[in-house]
Amino acid sequence: MKKILGLALTASLSLSLAACSGNTNNSSSPAPSDTTTPVATTETPETPETRTLKLAALETAYGADVWKEIIAGFEKANPGVKVESTIDKSIEDVIGPAMKSGDFPDVIHLAVGQPKGLTETFVKDNNLTDLTDVLSMTIPGESGTVKDKIIPGFTDTTITNPYGDGKTYLMPMFYSPTGLFYNAGLLEQKGWTVPTTWDEMWALGDKAKADGIALFSYPTTGYFDSFFYALLNEVGGPEFFTKAMHYTEGVWQSPEATQAFDIINKLAAYTEKTVPANGNKDNFTKNQQLILDNKAIFMPNGTWVVGEMSKAPRAEGFKWGFTALPAVKEGGDRFSYTFFEQIWVPAKAKNADLAKQFIAYLYSDEAAGVFAKVGAVQPIKDMASKLEGDNKLFYSIYDNGAKAAMGAFSTTDPVEGVSISDTVFGTVDSLVTKAKTQAQWVEAITKASDALRGALK
Amino acid sequence: MDIKKGQGRFIFFCLAPAVILFIVFLIIPTIDVFRMSTYKWGGYTDDKTFVGLQNFTKLFHSDKFYQSFQNSLLLIIVVTIVTFAFALVFASMLSREKLKGQDLLRIIFYIPNILSVVVISAIFSAIYDPNSGLLNAFLNLFRGATSDSTLWLGDQKIVIFSLAGAMIWQAIGYYMVMYMASMANIPESLYESAELEGAGRMHQFFTITIPLIWTNIRTTLTFFVISTINMSFLFVVAMTGGGPDGATEVFLSYMYKEAYTNSSYGYGMAIGVIVFLFSFALAAILNAVTKREHLEY
Repeated sequence: MKKILGLALTASLSLSLAACSGNTNNSSSPAPSDTTTPVATTETPETPETRTLKLAALETAYGADVWKEIIAGFEKANPGVKVESTIDKSIEDVIGPAMKSGDFPDVIHLAVGQPKGLTETFVKDNNLTDLTDVLSMTIPGESGTVKDKIIPGFTDTTITNPYGDGKTYLMPMFYSPTGLFYNAGLLEQKGWTVPTTWDEMWALGDKAKADGIALFSYPTTGYFDSFFYALLNEVGGPEFFTKAMHYTEGVWQSPEATQAFDIINKLAAYTEKTVPANGNKDNFTKNQQLILDNKAIFMPNGTWVVGEMSKAPRAEGFKWGFTALPAVKEGGDRFSYTFFEQIWVPAKAKNADLAKQFIAYLYSDEAAGVFAKVGAVQPIKDMASKLEGDNKLFYSIYDNGAKAAMGAFSTTDPVEGVSISDTVFGTVDSLVTKAKTQAQWVEAITKASDALRGALK
Repeated sequence: MDIKKGQGRFIFFCLAPAVILFIVFLIIPTIDVFRMSTYKWGGYTDDKTFVGLQNFTKLFHSDKFYQSFQNSLLLIIVVTIVTFAFALVFASMLSREKLKGQDLLRIIFYIPNILSVVVISAIFSAIYDPNSGLLNAFLNLFRGATSDSTLWLGDQKIVIFSLAGAMIWQAIGYYMVMYMASMANIPESLYESAELEGAGRMHQFFTITIPLIWTNIRTTLTFFVISTINMSFLFVVAMTGGGPDGATEVFLSYMYKEAYTNSSYGYGMAIGVIVFLFSFALAAILNAVTKREHLEY
């Protein structure tokens, strides 16, 4: 009896073990070792007529449904093509494990600048498909090419052409002008005008201070990216901006850079002093609330802030205002940084050609119309004129004299322990709390820049 | 003889599943962390280059790593000492004194432990709010409302202690219940005889209670180290994001930032290795210095 019991126990334990170990091979091992055999694909063999395109997209404020509509349109226009979509708020976690074992989506809509840095990792690892030929593709159902339709400049940035070889690897998707947001109602009420130069800005800051209002607030230091890029364009023009973005030696000691640093450091002194305490993911809306409550005048932000704060209480007579950065001198250029999302194709995608067709379709009037319905605006010529309401005001910023700044710090091979954005933008908190001086800040930026220069792509 | 052999085989087969599971899920992943720390790897694809111990050399030259090390160490020390002291005192009060609503108090103390870290972070973000927060409002009673509000989560010198405050609040209940459990085992007669001989409450606490729950205290010290390292990551992510300007960056938040945001997975794993060795070493040291002769009762 004992023996039988023993055998039965052993058998059941071994069975459970077998069941568990079966799972480990497939998914839950934290990282694949070189020796593990690739996962057997469970896909059914495809007949030549039906092709499957795998789309992975980050679910943003625009929602997941919009992609379903786009997919339906694409499938209708391309009989025999089926689009399998994965749309998720944490898309990196969903598609990550499969990618480690070599199973890649064909097309990924995920912008740079996300905390998990998936897109950056692909850029740094040279794992992207060249999409330059998409530009010369004819848009399905239309006569023009993709290049004809995209607003000039969007496919010449350090983001879309990360290796500086004239080739486009990431295609620009939804864009949004960024700049300074304020309560237009407050300025009207007080009889203040929107400053057009930084000198006027400081004068306004002093006036506001007398009324107990701070000049400046920022949601988190991360929002300084668009601010800083636009400012660099103002102080030194696009050429200087490009030099800075490529970590050119000595660039941070140049008079232009010093002027930019001076402005930010001075602005830190005019910043509402509770801002660093709330400058995190949990509480950043409190910093935005300062504008709505008339406790601060300006904040750097993007057009999404209107939706983000739509349910927040606000001061009487509140009206959103939006302006480009003030010029550094009378009559100087004013810039507004253009933030845009990207769509790209992994180098190891199985259906890269189909993915390219899909991307070309995204620039069709049909697709753009679907996106525009949820407020997602693509960089397509004349798109801005079709907008309504607040968006019309925001997207017309470039028609009102502001120049567009685009691009970001150039891609490098990963340099362990060095993050240029943490160094440049993150330190602003310390400037406000006076934990660090401007000299320390510039020194740290120079050090990070030196480290990254050697790793440039 | 045959019976012994059979028994041995039986034990072997009974143990095998557990041992295999242990190896597959614990030993191999741990070794994998060590192995991956020697690669330069983005983490998302299968392209990686072997770089030997380079990741470690870089780590030891990184100011940011030392900053996160310092913060973690500070949290471990502060959270352990304060939580330990409070938990012990509360446990002793609840198990030795006759208080009204003892059971209710025990539940209240334990509640923070069942709340999610995100909820606790939200509660403490509200408490620490510079303008409308409870803490500043309370302090203003003494220092006057006109004085500058303290930035509990904005001042680099204070923020790490603010974080520790939330962690301590969360942990006390758990350790208190653990200490209470072992205090309940101490025979009442010891206290009675001590009282007859004129020993006061404090004296009893230090000469009877503490020595007799010493084994339990030693175990919890190891728990303190491990849980502070883990929980600090959750609190940092939910409350400060490592800010302002890296002032609350701890081991694991720095590791996460490097492994994912900075596309340096191998380097992140190197940090993981250091954390692993550090927590092991610290636990071992704590165990060694708290070694006492086991008291029987």
